[in-house]
Amino acid sequence: MSVLTLRLAGPLQSWGASARFTRRTTESAPTKSGVIGMLAAAAGIERGDDTELARLGALRYGVRIDQPGSRVRDFQTAHHPVTGKSMPLSERFYLADAVFVAALEGDRALLTELHAALRAPVYAPYLGRRSCPPALPIELGLHDGTTPLRQVLQDEPWQAAPWYRRQRRRDATVSLAVLREADEHEDHADVLRDQPLSFAADHRRHALRSIIGDTVEVPNPAAVPTRSAPRHDPFDALEEESARCS
Amino acid sequence: MFLTRFRVNTARPGARRLLSSPQALHAAVMSSFPSLLPSDSSAPDGPRVLWRLDHNTRAEVMLYIVSPTQPDLTHLVEQAGWPAAATDPDTPGWQSKPYTPLLDHLAVGDTWAFRLTANPVHHIRRKDDEPRKRTAHLTPIHQMAWLLDRQERGGFRILEKPDSKRLLPGGTTHRQQEHHGDRYELSVRDRRDLSFDKSRGQNLSRRRPVSLVTVTFDGRLEVSDPDALRRTLTQGLGKAKAYGCGLMTLASLPGGG
Repeated sequence: MSVLTLRLAGPLQSWGASARFTRRTTESAPTKSGVIGMLAAAAGIERGDDTELARLGALRYGVRIDQPGSRVRDFQTAHHPVTGKSMPLSERFYLADAVFVAALEGDRALLTELHAALRAPVYAPYLGRRSCPPALPIELGLHDGTTPLRQVLQDEPWQAAPWYRRQRRRDATVSLAVLREADEHEDHADVLRDQPLSFAADHRRHALRSIIGDTVEVPNPAAVPTRSAPRHDPFDALEEESARCS
Repeated sequence: MFLTRFRVNTARPGARRLLSSPQALHAAVMSSFPSLLPSDSSAPDGPRVLWRLDHNTRAEVMLYIVSPTQPDLTHLVEQAGWPAAATDPDTPGWQSKPYTPLLDHLAVGDTWAFRLTANPVHHIRRKDDEPRKRTAHLTPIHQMAWLLDRQERGGFRILEKPDSKRLLPGGTTHRQQEHHGDRYELSVRDRRDLSFDKSRGQNLSRRRPVSLVTVTFDGRLEVSDPDALRRTLTQGLGKAKAYGCGLMTLASLPGGG
């Protein structure tokens, strides 16, 4: 089992799991269907190809919230370019200035293929919506061997922006939220309908997926040591002295 | 000799008055010795009263006093301490202990951690025909050099760092020039540029503020000459001893010195 890690950073991201009609919401972290869809697009899998998609859907998925970002609401009015009739009013939600590390665990050959596809994508990757391009290269690395997903998310360096790291400069380590797929024996999991079954243009289908919320402690490279005075107690020498005399 | 410690209650107006002026604090410290009269002239190289303020954190300000006789800090407790707590005989408001046993046991080769607040100065002239004037050392490199210059006469030797802890291996720059910046177990911090009036309220035309630069040195030393070190600890090091400079204290090293 190998693990492929991705860095999802950009000015805007939008990861809808239950959005319908004119109100397009976003989850606070990338959804599995969004990330799998991005990888499938990079690998050139066409929309109706459900058997190819099933191979990708079988990967275990986890995401770490390195920089939560803030939610932005876009109230959108539009008119039809030909007829001039007004289109339905819609609300779109985005995450601004967020950074995530996503990890996929599974078959080594498949992940190697996806890693190569991200370096030379068939369809350009985007962060949940076509209007949200990534700000940095997406692929972080392919971890071969036996390291489990949770450990990889623990070991990956903190990817937050420098200005965000400086805000936390008083902390030597930061604790980051991790949302990962639950193992069989784990209960108390949340469920989210973002397990992709089909991306067919006329009928997209998603199954429920169980998620475990967790935190990991990651060192902060921007931490500055506190500049407090070193301890100095002249009286402890006196006490030692009197103990030696008596 | 006695070593005395008093914690300053920084929330009190009296404490702010004393902390804002080394002149006022010096007067308060000298008033804690009932037998010491201002008209007395002490022996030039005898032990004297030395004091120092340790600003450890904003609300942890300690006044240390080294003196030939035991001080009575009741007036300081009343103005800048905790008078209600001091009514309990277990917590008199200050701690005073005999310092002589420690001084007597100093021996060559002992290692100690030390702290010293000092006023590092030198005398310079800008032009050849100008009189030399006392001028403060302003950069940490020069301030360290000032202390390193005085270590031999002071009876101690500042320990050198092991190579593994140095940023510049061998204590030299990349051009192999000697550089003490990283070589010694010594740090300079808490530089204060003090400026205060020596007298209050009288004769405005003659009012020129006293200005001082003080720094606090922390480090580790090895005793090389116990007599000289005893003199350093009881008579002070450097200038401005009346204004909280020159008092060096020793503490045992964390690893058991």
